[in-house]
Amino acid sequence: MNWRWFHRLGSPPYVYALARRLTPWFGWLSGLSMLAGLYGALLVAPADYQQGEGFRIIYVHAPTAWMSLMVYTTMAAAAAVGLIWRMKVAHAVAASCAPVGASFTFAALATGSLYGAPMWGTWWQWDPRLTSELILLFLYLGYMGLRGSIDDPQRADRASAVLAVVGVVNVPIIHYSVTWWNSLHQAPTVMRFGKPAMPGSMLAPLLIMLLAFTLFFAALLLVRLRAEILNRERTASWIPEVLKS
Amino acid sequence: MSQFLDMGGYALYVWPAYAITFAVVALNVFWARRLLERARAAARRRLGVGGGEGA
Amino acid sequence: MSSHAATIAAAGHIAPGTAGAADAGRLVLLRDLKLAFRRPGQLIQPLAFFAIVTTLFPLAVSPELSRLRAVAPGVLWVAALLASLLALESLFRDDAYDGTLEQYALSGQPLTWLVFAKTATHWLLTGLPLALLAPLAALSLGAPPQSLGAIVICVGVGTVALSLIGSVGAALTLGIRRSGVLLALLTLPLSLPVLIFGARATELAMRGESFVAPLELLGALAVLGVTLAPLAAAAGVRISLE
Repeated sequence: MNWRWFHRLGSPPYVYALARRLTPWFGWLSGLSMLAGLYGALLVAPADYQQGEGFRIIYVHAPTAWMSLMVYTTMAAAAAVGLIWRMKVAHAVAASCAPVGASFTFAALATGSLYGAPMWGTWWQWDPRLTSELILLFLYLGYMGLRGSIDDPQRADRASAVLAVVGVVNVPIIHYSVTWWNSLHQAPTVMRFGKPAMPGSMLAPLLIMLLAFTLFFAALLLVRLRAEILNRERTASWIPEVLKS
Repeated sequence: MSQFLDMGGYALYVWPAYAITFAVVALNVFWARRLLERARAAARRRLGVGGGEGA
Repeated sequence: MSSHAATIAAAGHIAPGTAGAADAGRLVLLRDLKLAFRRPGQLIQPLAFFAIVTTLFPLAVSPELSRLRAVAPGVLWVAALLASLLALESLFRDDAYDGTLEQYALSGQPLTWLVFAKTATHWLLTGLPLALLAPLAALSLGAPPQSLGAIVICVGVGTVALSLIGSVGAALTLGIRRSGVLLALLTLPLSLPVLIFGARATELAMRGESFVAPLELLGALAVLGVTLAPLAAAAGVRISLE
């Protein structure tokens, strides 16, 4: 297996150039698919039999919840790569993920609360999924807090990487909490093995929105990663060229 | 149109949910771009390079 | 550097392998116990904190035992969690300051094992006394006397998990100025399952029902902690010492 691509990803100038080229693609694609998803969510998808028009919240709640988990997993994976192979770029990726993940976890909790209020009759419930999603928010904040408290950049990278890896155990707990325990929250309809339990006209906008937000995360990550690399590489020789263009 | 805005009575929940979500989206766009601009400006100052637009 | 630390370092060179490691672990444990008992005032602090916190609730909520009984499980566990957190700050701090921790890392003995020995001592000095003190606090909050034995067991097992989970945060925040709040922010999210299952087990025990299911979950968390936490904590110690 040719590992050259992996080693190239360890080079900051290479990653910077690659990120710059890819950002417009991800940015535009995510914007367009968000518009398409919005159109489908608000105008195409039929109202739900039980939940009426209120069901449309799922088109923002599911993507934000998906983001909160996906971003954390990316962060933990990058942290692990950084720890194992001592790759600076991997640590930069992890650092870039945290604020994005935290803000979308907040959005997931807020939209979930707005969804739960009319459907379950309560703004909040200490059931396993909601509680573990709240824990996820605290993990993000703890990660950012730890990074901010350590002055030495290398030590900050590695300490927060250990924290990210330790906390990743929360991600499967969040996902499987609704199957393991009696939960107010509904069981997975899309992210499970076997056919999704939703009709096509409702499912399509959901999938589009999930894709749109994933592409959006990629675009954000690429932009933040460039900022991280510039700040970390300080006076490296390749930077002046890049800045002039 | 008013039926659309009313969301079958769920307007109080649906629209704030969409608003919060896209506020977070917009916030992230501005935040990321600002970070990159600042990093570029700081790098330019550090290295004494002249200005230049572009990503 | 104390003679014990020197012995541990020497043990690593003379007899590499598990035989040396067992001795090293025992030495670390005994050293920590000895040092802790030289300052009994510091030992009492988490226990006093626990006692004071549990006293706050009858004063703030209601002196009626029937009302206190309802919140007793939660109060007990929150107080135990906070007291355990208080004691965690000093888990590695003193050894980091006087260079002993660095000697442990360089000694050739598996750092994971030595960290586990320190965490075990932490539990012996904090968790175990809390478990023994908990029945008194529970009684003051209206718990029936028949449930007290069960409470000792639940808090005992739960504090094992808390000490282990906390050791990771303590290792990562070594040497950070005023790390108390950050340590709490890192440790509390990971400790919440212990809180949830522990309070549930205590509640069932107080009602006279079978508390085996949540206790088993507590035990599972403790076992998971024993296998994974020392590894992460040792990694954290190495990172902090660099």
